[in-house]
Parts: sequence; C-alpha cells; structure tokens
Amino acid sequence: MDELLLSKIRLSVIAELLTSDWIAFSELQRSLDVTQGNLGAHLSKLVEAGYVDEQKSFVNRRPLTQYRLAPKGRAAFVAHVHQLQSLLG
Amino acid sequence: MDRIDASEAREHIEMVAQILADTEQRLCAGGEFFVVWGLFSGCITLLVHFVSKGALAPQAIWIGAALFVAALVFSVWRGRALRASVARRSLVQREFFNVLWLTLGLAFVANVALFNIFSGIASAAIWSFAEAIVLLYIGMHGNRRAQVCGITVVVSMVVANFTRGDVTAYALAAGMIAGYGGFGVAELLTPE
Repeated sequence: MDELLLSKIRLSVIAELLTSDWIAFSELQRSLDVTQGNLGAHLSKLVEAGYVDEQKSFVNRRPLTQYRLAPKGRAAFVAHVHQLQSLLG
Repeated sequence: MDRIDASEAREHIEMVAQILADTEQRLCAGGEFFVVWGLFSGCITLLVHFVSKGALAPQAIWIGAALFVAALVFSVWRGRALRASVARRSLVQREFFNVLWLTLGLAFVANVALFNIFSGIASAAIWSFAEAIVLLYIGMHGNRRAQVCGITVVVSMVVANFTRGDVTAYALAAGMIAGYGGFGVAELLTPE
C-alpha cells in the first residue's frame, strides 16, 4: 500500500489530476473543498515525492501555481488502486 | 506501515470513482476561434472565387492576406489569454488541440504547397474537409452542437460537388460560415 496515498486528500488530488493536463491551485481547492493551508501541505508532499509537477508563473502580475500528475504519480496511483481492489477481494 | 481495512478501501475507491465521474471533459475553450476562422475561410473562399472569375481585381487577394494575418493575430492573442486564465485543462482538451493543429496545418500545406493537385475550388474544399474533421472530433466527445455543425459542413461539400459555377463556391462558403462559425456562436451562447 502506498503510504502517501492513504490520505484521502492526497488521493483526491491525484484523482483530480488524473484526467487533466494542468490544474490551478485555486481550482483544486474549489473542487476538493479544503483550506489553502491544508491543500498546500498535502501538495508539497506529493511534489516532494515526485508524484506531482508544480509550475509557478505570473498572470496579470498575480502569482499562478499549477499542478500536473507526473508519470511516477500515475504509476503509484494505479498500483495503489490495484491494492485497494485486492483488499476488497 | 499504515494499513486500511476493506470498508475504508471501498470508501477510497468510491471517492476516486466519484471524482473521475465529476471531472469535466469539456473540449472547447472559447467559441470565438471558430467564429473568426469560420468567417475567414468563408470570406476567403468567396474572395478567391470572385478574383478567379474576374469579378474582382487580382489585387483584392491582398485583402485575404490581411484577413489571414488578423485572424492569426487574434487567435494567438486570445489563445495566450485563455491559456493563462483557464484554471483546468483536461487531457482531452490537449488531445483536441493536437488534432486541431494537425488538421488545419495539413490543410494549410495543401493550400500553399499542393496547389497543382488541389487547384481552384478544391483548395477551398480542403478547408471544408479540415473543418468537418475538427467539428466531428468534438462531436465524438458528446457535443451535439458540433455534430450538427460538422454535418452541415459535410452537406455543404456534397451540395458543392453537385452544383456548378458560383453556387459551388457559395455552398462551400455557406458551410464554413454556418457550420464552423455557427458552432462558435452556439458555444459562445451556451452557458457554462
């Protein structure tokens, strides 16, 4: 079992990123309905693990942070879901 | 290592399934591109037709070049603005843009480098073909408006095939404006 993905919020983040190219931090926060600090902390762990790519830029002089699922994160998600399914028999 | 039991595993899987089901798979990020290029391709078809039959001076072709540059500048400007403001871009969306650029790029190559093969009205029909592919690709992802508009473009090509003279050019231009441009208008009028 992937320890990093045992958290429901981190698993939700990966699921949100699964069918997307890039998602802005604000959009992830809106979708998952979590606080900025909580989401930021979980995303940091995913970025650190190489599961998620982070891209920072400026749009109209305002900072924009976007996230994308990395191949390592996709592989980890698939393996994790297989293990969850095997638990169900 | 943390472990979870079967009921938690089921809960996690159901949560993932729900997120995947809720994830929006919209394809079009702005109908304005379709309006601009539908109008441009329709106008250029009529312009080239009238120049080739002598109703307009050959210099009028420069109007077409100016329209092309204007449409291109608008697309680049608007595309950059949308790219920055869109909070979520799906993989399907990225795939669509690949299809869009490939199709329109090949149509452009056919027009500028294969004009001995696709001469006269055939060069306009190539654009209709490309536009029909783009619309029907969007239609394949469940957009009913794109299906209708794609079929409109195809019908315009069939009509053009069975008519002669001015009507051939009118039919193709009408398909481009009503089909491609019309799809853009429909997208702009559709609430998010």
